[in-house]
Amino acid sequence: MQRSMLQGVIVNLVTWTLVLLIAFPLLWMIITSVKPQTELFRIPPTWFPETITFEHYWRLLTETPFLTYFRNSVVLATTTTIFVVALGTLGAYSLVRFKYRGRETLAMLVLFTYLLPSVVLIIPLYLMMVAIGLSNTLVSLILAHTTFALPYALWLLRSFMEGVPEDLESAALVDGASRMGAFRDIILPQLLPGIISTALFTFILSWNEYLYALVLVNSDSVAPLTTGVMSMLISAFNIEWSLLMAASVMMSLPLIVVFAFLQSYLTSGFGAGGVKG
Amino acid sequence: MADVTLTNVRKQFGTFVALENLDIEIKSGEFVALLGPSGCGKSTTLRMLAGLEFPTSGDISIDGRVVNDVAPGKRDIAMVFQSYALYPHMSVAENIAYPLKKRGVSAADRKVAVQKAAELLQLEPLLDRKPKQLSGGQQQRVALGRALVREPKVFLLDEPLSNLDAKLRSYMRAELIELHRRLGKTMIYVTHDQLEAMTMANRIAVMHGGKLQQFDTPDAVYNRPANRFVASFIGTPSMNQLEGQLDGALFHVAGHSIPLDRTRFADDLGTGDYALGVRPEFVAIGDGELPAKIRLVENTGHEQIVTLELTDGTRLLARTDAARRLDVGQNVQIGFHPDAIHLFAPGEEGPRLNKNDAASVIPMRSR
Repeated sequence: MQRSMLQGVIVNLVTWTLVLLIAFPLLWMIITSVKPQTELFRIPPTWFPETITFEHYWRLLTETPFLTYFRNSVVLATTTTIFVVALGTLGAYSLVRFKYRGRETLAMLVLFTYLLPSVVLIIPLYLMMVAIGLSNTLVSLILAHTTFALPYALWLLRSFMEGVPEDLESAALVDGASRMGAFRDIILPQLLPGIISTALFTFILSWNEYLYALVLVNSDSVAPLTTGVMSMLISAFNIEWSLLMAASVMMSLPLIVVFAFLQSYLTSGFGAGGVKG
Repeated sequence: MADVTLTNVRKQFGTFVALENLDIEIKSGEFVALLGPSGCGKSTTLRMLAGLEFPTSGDISIDGRVVNDVAPGKRDIAMVFQSYALYPHMSVAENIAYPLKKRGVSAADRKVAVQKAAELLQLEPLLDRKPKQLSGGQQQRVALGRALVREPKVFLLDEPLSNLDAKLRSYMRAELIELHRRLGKTMIYVTHDQLEAMTMANRIAVMHGGKLQQFDTPDAVYNRPANRFVASFIGTPSMNQLEGQLDGALFHVAGHSIPLDRTRFADDLGTGDYALGVRPEFVAIGDGELPAKIRLVENTGHEQIVTLELTDGTRLLARTDAARRLDVGQNVQIGFHPDAIHLFAPGEEGPRLNKNDAASVIPMRSR
């Protein structure tokens, strides 16, 4: 009895230490973003700001192209997500339901692209984008993000698709549905948890992606948040800490909101990948 | 109502031949069971009738129309799956209404039809539930409801009772027989359970290794099996088959001779290897010339299944009434009812060589 209580205390202690360690930068980010400039570099640092100010947020929204970057990021992540989910769902359906030569090999090859570091793929991708006249456009980033999000999406959706009994589809066909009708009426609703977790993964990946955005896009009007904010606030001479922190908070907000609503789906996605993928 | 005909149907998956030259003619309103061990091609046959698989060659016709290239939804058939295949995200009412919806039936008419089906199957209180909130038997009835709601020409049932427990299964069996009588529709029923086939079907198609072994009434399949496979597959416990030599009117087995009534068998049988078949209920213990030893006695309460061993180690089963006292290890003389003896050609599917009137139903009392 005593031993198990001690065990509980230790486990809790370790857990909370870890949580604090991980959450501290987040916390510091939020605190810094609402501190006035004068308080920022005070030593010793203040844990809780003496005066709370939202002037950095205001400056960011009114005096900088932050909103343009934000819009670019929303367009980029949303379009990529729609692309990946649409292609991934149909691709997974094909891999699971249709029988053709090289089906398994294809599925393995798709995963093989993950073995290559993304840096290796950047140069060829960049050259390709230049060749087809898409360099320095949001479209080039959408395509690039789709290429590296799709393999994982395909793999994840495949394991969800395998969980949908074939009898359900057969029953729909016998009941008078066309193949597409059965897919829409029966398969898609069954696949919804898989689609939501795939969409989340893709959205997060695309929202946070930095390297490709840095290489493929270099004008302010099409830069997403990651590269836009960095180049705007970090120069060789000066880092605008308070603005940077305010920007970081606003960048994280959409993800946190989406996460809060859909987290149960996301964990089920991890489960499916773990068991079958 | 509709005739269903399979003409010379062959189905191949890669190099594997699942069905070979299948010819079956099912009459309108008939209840036919496709019976066989797993992998015999019965489910493939059903799936081809449904349009979920396509024959490699041959023709399938429903109601006189060749449907080889007709999509499942346009064949005017309904199917009940072994897994029930209820749509998990739809309520019971939506499940039953789905085939009507896909046929463009108006919402008002759908409601009436669903109500009617629900009444027939006692599903009314469950209409708003989701499938996973139902018991196995209830799910089964919803699957039936979905099949009969649009009044198809032909019902296809793929082992619909195999997921139910024994008690519910016998109840649903009776329900299905009743349903068939009431609707009068053609029903084709796949099962590996001979009891289901024997009790429900007007005719049974026994299949094995992708080939049709026999297509006849339950009585004929039991009493006049076409070959050794059917003889051994139908009946629990199955028919005893003793390998031996025929010489004139004598059948030699385990060093002894059993006299046969040659008029009951084909006239042109030569001397050589054959198999003698006799059902356990026609093996008489203590009445005959064949010496045997009792190896096992299984008392089921109303009868005993006795395992006997002949002098050469061949085992066979006998069925006797439960009151009789028999001891393991006891030496007995056994004999076979002369009118119940079948003769088969050698080989797993060796054909039966009796003239076709013989070995029909013999009253149990005369044993």
